[in-house]
Amino acid sequence: MLLTSLLKENQILLDIETTSKTQCIERLAQHMVDSGDVVDIDQYVRDVLKREEEGSTGIGFAVAIPHGKSAGVQAPSLAYARLSAPIDWQSIDGEPVKHAFLIAVPLEQSGNEHLRILSNLSRKLIHEEFRAQLNQVKNAEELVELLEQ
Amino acid sequence: MKKILAVTACPTGIAHTYMAAESLEKAAKEKGVPFKVETRGGVGIENELTTQDIQEAHAIIIAAATDVDEGRFQGKTVIKVSLAEAIKDAPTAIDRALQAEASTGYVAQVEQSKQERSAGRSGFYKHLMTGVSNMIPLVVAGGLIIALSFIFGITAFEEEGTLAAALMDIGGGAAFALMVPILAGFIAFSIADKPGLAPGLVGGMLASQNGSGFLGGIIAGFIAGYAAKFIKDQVKLPRSFEGLKPVLIIPLGATLFTGLLMVYVIGEPVAWIMEGLGDWLAGLNTGNAIALGLILGAMMAFDMGGPVNKAAYTFAVGLIGSNIYEPMAAVMAAGMTPPLGLWLATLLSPKKFSTEEREAGKAAGVLGISFITEGAIPFAAADPFRVIPSLMVGSATAGGLAMLFNTALQAPHGGIFVLFIPNAVTNVFLYALAIAIGMTVTAVMIVLLKKGVAAKPEQTIQEKHDIAG
Repeated sequence: MLLTSLLKENQILLDIETTSKTQCIERLAQHMVDSGDVVDIDQYVRDVLKREEEGSTGIGFAVAIPHGKSAGVQAPSLAYARLSAPIDWQSIDGEPVKHAFLIAVPLEQSGNEHLRILSNLSRKLIHEEFRAQLNQVKNAEELVELLEQ
Repeated sequence: MKKILAVTACPTGIAHTYMAAESLEKAAKEKGVPFKVETRGGVGIENELTTQDIQEAHAIIIAAATDVDEGRFQGKTVIKVSLAEAIKDAPTAIDRALQAEASTGYVAQVEQSKQERSAGRSGFYKHLMTGVSNMIPLVVAGGLIIALSFIFGITAFEEEGTLAAALMDIGGGAAFALMVPILAGFIAFSIADKPGLAPGLVGGMLASQNGSGFLGGIIAGFIAGYAAKFIKDQVKLPRSFEGLKPVLIIPLGATLFTGLLMVYVIGEPVAWIMEGLGDWLAGLNTGNAIALGLILGAMMAFDMGGPVNKAAYTFAVGLIGSNIYEPMAAVMAAGMTPPLGLWLATLLSPKKFSTEEREAGKAAGVLGISFITEGAIPFAAADPFRVIPSLMVGSATAGGLAMLFNTALQAPHGGIFVLFIPNAVTNVFLYALAIAIGMTVTAVMIVLLKKGVAAKPEQTIQEKHDIAG
């Protein structure tokens, strides 16, 4: 499946603990390195944080979607973290973040299918029912299933 | 129900574009508002708004951090919100759009039909119009500045060092000299983008020098444009030389090709044609001159800003470059007549028009004095078979009379306002008379042909009584 080629099993982290936004991004990015999608983690994390400086990707409703189009990325990738303790993300509604989807896209666009999956994810996040289900997910399999609906 | 449109876009085009779109869509759905949203993200433009969508829309919400091609929304109410607002509080954005004053005024309608037309232009016509529209400011500036030099006497510019001579240098020596090169340059630009400009300008300059005038310029522009496009698209170079293409190969190749064709093949025959045309126009007997005015006039009113109108207009503007000013006078008079005639018709016989149409008539009047023929379109669209023939007859009358009265116009635009610039119009009072007669003909014919408003409220009430009784 296309989605699973983006969101590999090792890139789904449920109920982890992190103390800051940067730490959360770095940790998710490390898993992308492990699966070979990110080749230069320093470059990639720098690009993601730069994007955060331009405006927080905390879109409200306890969700953040940090993302970066970066030379450090080899293949498009998606990682997810559900945080056991919500952290501050300077979100637009001021609420702390519980769900973080980290998105990696290479500089040269690599086929629209992947971008389309990511845009579909963004659309889903707007819906309350989807976010409620996100809270209920018990394992990686269930998450993939939820996203593929 | 009011239809709302939206456009969302962000620089990365991965997340916010789509979240904002979804959020707005959701809010619109909950409110039961007809809605469509265009996304401009990493995947490109999706669900693009069509001209028809825009036309039907009550208002358009723009939630974007990059360019969204706003030009197409001209004449429409546009609400701008930040992406964050659209995501967080879409219902408010939708409410704002619903409550906004819709700009459905007459002028907005006219603006819209102009937009639709330029969007629908393609190929040959589009390239030609790009050239013409870039040339017009030069003709306006040149023509009026030359007219100003005549304030000091018709031959005052011949004396060197005077202000009249300076004005003639600016208008005739510089602005008019640039006309044909710019025409050709921008035709080529429209065809081949930037690489077309240089060969087009050079081809146009040659046309201007060898006397082939605007006709030669048009031909030069097309040759240069397609030559540049051919080299750009078809000539393949080794990768390491690819960088030389825009800076060396295209300018040299396309310019040389266009230039040689202009000098050895096209220049002379076209110069003969232009000379012949000039002689023919100068030697026209009164009957033929009136015939020319009638034809140009009818063309101006036939499609009000469409291809036929623009053909007549381009012909007249091109002749200004060859110092022939009479057809321009006929064309502008005929172009002002349609909206003016409609305005007069609504005054002459208000009962035949609805309240909205009478209001629209006033706006048409304003557009008419400004030489915006498109001002007649909403009326013509509503009742084409009665309105268009009336407009054509009135405009042909104005055009024919302008030629009969031997009027001449130095500027290609300006409507009634150029009449006040000294020497811009020769025989200015007769010119005003030609326009006045033309609009009267249009108005009378419309009033005679029109049946009147279909259902008057009083009648309906009367009928009800009848039924009750």
